[in-house]
Amino acid sequence: MFTALLFIIFAGLAVGCAVSMVVQRNPLYSAISLIGVFIALASLYVMLAAPFMAAVQVIVYAGAIMVLVVFVIMLLNVEEEERRKVRLRYLLPTGVVLAAVLIAEAFFILYFVGNADATLRDPAGSNVGLTASIGTGLFTKYLMPFEITSILLLMAIVGAMTLARRAALLSPGARVIPGAQVLPRHLVNPRAVGDATEVVTHTTAQAAALIGEQETEGASEKE
Amino acid sequence: MGPHLSWYLALSAVLFTIGVVGVVVKRNVISMFMCIELMLNAVNLTFIAFSSYFRDVTGQLFVFIVMTVAAAEAAVGLGIIIAIFRNRESLDVDDANILKL
Repeated sequence: MFTALLFIIFAGLAVGCAVSMVVQRNPLYSAISLIGVFIALASLYVMLAAPFMAAVQVIVYAGAIMVLVVFVIMLLNVEEEERRKVRLRYLLPTGVVLAAVLIAEAFFILYFVGNADATLRDPAGSNVGLTASIGTGLFTKYLMPFEITSILLLMAIVGAMTLARRAALLSPGARVIPGAQVLPRHLVNPRAVGDATEVVTHTTAQAAALIGEQETEGASEKE
Repeated sequence: MGPHLSWYLALSAVLFTIGVVGVVVKRNVISMFMCIELMLNAVNLTFIAFSSYFRDVTGQLFVFIVMTVAAAEAAVGLGIIIAIFRNRESLDVDDANILKL
């Protein structure tokens, strides 16, 4: 009975925070609500006898990932979503109807699952959620997925660095051959989207000046 | 009487649905990104509930890998968001409707 009460408390917290996340217009408040969901889910993991996963949930999700998201929100200085005219006005009713259908399907299945004997057994005496059993599983039977995951992380690092690099600057080794460089402007400066005016440079210094000039132009447009 | 397995599955379905609605309804890229994280977490809850029910550690290892994928997704996704913001000065998905930066 006590565990049922705990479940209701944490499930209510999770659902409430999730709804608040979708309803909030300021992304920062959304992020804080999402942290609430993560904490509630971590508590449920503890109830499901998975203490290691609960710790990882708090450390990785509520710690690392959400810090990254909040950092980006602050970096970009995101203002509230303005209430402007919705271009696709059928989108909201479609979303709500699809959500209702999904919920109905889920509960239809759960109704039949619920008739089966699926009471969770008492976790006492089981070592399934403990760190030792997870480590054993990761490094014996599931070693291959573990290694593939490390490659995935490497790819993520390389991808993030490539994306975050500034594109428009001349690389240190770049040299312009006199008279040979005739480029559309958007190749020299990716900000000039759609501007296909040709840019002709004759020396490296000239090209650098050209790009630098456009950089300041872009900065003044920002203001 | 402890919580039934189906309670956890129902909670997971509700959270996933809220995430789907968020992705469809929201226009801010970062908010949509957070809704995707919510959906991933709903799936994680299902995995851990079944892992506890079957007394098998495999479900929790899946959750471990899902978390790694979520971290990689966060790094690359936020990189893309910053690149889009640099070029378009906006986080609205309607302003980023072509694949070109």
